[in-house]
Amino acid sequence: MTDRLLDAQNPDGGWTYRRGASWVEPTAYALLAVAAARESARFSRGAAWIRKAQQPDGSWPVQPGVGGAAWVTALAALLGPETLGDAPFSRAVNWIAAQVSQAHTWSERARLALFGHGCNDASTHGGFSWVPGTAGWVTPTAVSVLALEKALRLRADTVVQERAQLGRGYLLSRRCRDGGWNHGAYRVLGVEADSYPETTGLGLLALHGDELPQSRDLAARQLASCRTAEGTSWLRMALLAHGRSPASPRAPRCFDTRDCALAAIADQAAKGRNPLLV
Amino acid sequence: MTAGMQSLTRRGFVAGSLAAAGCTRAPGTAAAVSIVKCAAYGQEIYATVRRTLAEHKLNVRGKRVVLKPNLVEFEPGSSINTHPMVVHAALEAFRAMGAADVRIAEGPGHRRNTFDLADSAGYFDVIPGFEDLFTDLNLDDVTEVKLASPRAKIKSLYLPNTALGADLLVSMAKLKTHHWAGATLSMKNFFGLVPGGVYGWPKNVLHWSGIDESINDLHAALPRAFALVDGIVGMQGNGPIQGTPKNAGVLISGRSLPAVDATCCRIMKIVPERVHFLQLADIPARIEQRGEAIGEVATAFDLLPQHQSLRA
Repeated sequence: MTDRLLDAQNPDGGWTYRRGASWVEPTAYALLAVAAARESARFSRGAAWIRKAQQPDGSWPVQPGVGGAAWVTALAALLGPETLGDAPFSRAVNWIAAQVSQAHTWSERARLALFGHGCNDASTHGGFSWVPGTAGWVTPTAVSVLALEKALRLRADTVVQERAQLGRGYLLSRRCRDGGWNHGAYRVLGVEADSYPETTGLGLLALHGDELPQSRDLAARQLASCRTAEGTSWLRMALLAHGRSPASPRAPRCFDTRDCALAAIADQAAKGRNPLLV
Repeated sequence: MTAGMQSLTRRGFVAGSLAAAGCTRAPGTAAAVSIVKCAAYGQEIYATVRRTLAEHKLNVRGKRVVLKPNLVEFEPGSSINTHPMVVHAALEAFRAMGAADVRIAEGPGHRRNTFDLADSAGYFDVIPGFEDLFTDLNLDDVTEVKLASPRAKIKSLYLPNTALGADLLVSMAKLKTHHWAGATLSMKNFFGLVPGGVYGWPKNVLHWSGIDESINDLHAALPRAFALVDGIVGMQGNGPIQGTPKNAGVLISGRSLPAVDATCCRIMKIVPERVHFLQLADIPARIEQRGEAIGEVATAFDLLPQHQSLRA
């Protein structure tokens, strides 16, 4: 899988999803997956691409020249100072820790309550959003929590600690009734929504320090019937992080760089070292 | 600026000023909307779709056509997703009409695994060579489009180059109710053009900007459009995902998406003038209803309590 990822690298050093220009998300996942090859010229070109894409405020856009700051800042931050450099990494962490989703405001809480989304203290603390100025959702929150935890492993910081804790609180408050996670709308207009395997795996991985037996058991059941490569990878990683040893499942097809990279990362996790948790 | 953006910039994208592939309507003329009966997802769909598209006299010879179905959830056999047989029928029909290239493209708003969704919905089984024909619009190269007269708060949108580069963009929606908008039809189907790769899953920026306003802004941004709505089995109740199947037995098509959506509403026994996104839309003053009369095919779709005021 590592060779396949390296072969898929664009001439500019980044990675695309399937075809076309390089994007931050697949580049970050690919670099995390092939970090064992960090001495190679191809890894160096990828690292240079992603360093160059960072914006002055410490954030990353989804693609150079497309939009402004975005959630992929957390993905880039997971590459750590060893790839980004100390100062760029610190700027990224500071940017992430400063993010407040719109759900954190009183008007959004009122809207949530009015439309039956459920409004309790944990939910209103706010997660992390895909794009600044919008609501918090499970995927950007989970990735941001993992990135902040990486920073805390390197250096204690009260602000970062508190922001990570808020993010975990958001994730805990957004579980569906089955114990899993969807994109973040666990109830719509008073009707309970179903979880997704992909976001259940990612949410559970981000909460690897919490005892969540219902969620863990659901993840194991979802893994047995998961139809996507992405979901399989996240569920494997989550179960390993929660002390389970999932059986090697049948491997759904990888359709893009992200699928391939996550599969490679899950394989590394199965061997005892998850790049997202070190 | 990426290479993809450079090539689209040369085409000069300001929404609303694009030349159409023979798909505009002269002012004052009626908008033609076809209603054809189609009882089931069987082989007869192919001839039905081919005949319907031919009747609309679409000039697609040598042109690029993009079919945009509605793919939402992993529930094969449900009435959530546009049926692959309808999409395949359209693909074959446009090829027979001389289109240079016919692609299928979609950008789901909740689930990121678009190819897996399509596989689960049967697209790989029904459409030969599907993978090579399909573009995940969520992850496509994009170009920023300034909205000419935006109704919503957002003034520009990044849109996928595959959609922007189409000479004809065919909205292949499903005939469904919607828990927020009342109904989700050919216009709302264009939400799937807004790339999750830029805006996330769901595409929250559109909700913050105003759902009904954004529906209209997207429609205005992509004028080279046609609608073919899969109403063979639609969805009623708590659509667009948690509702129940509703046999309507029709395909609805036309060049004016507001006119098609108004017709769809009448078939569902919903008053289109009470649906907010249609209140904002430019529904043609005259709709020429071809094929079946609405009265022959109309069937009341169950509505959520908060949408009972939409009932005809």
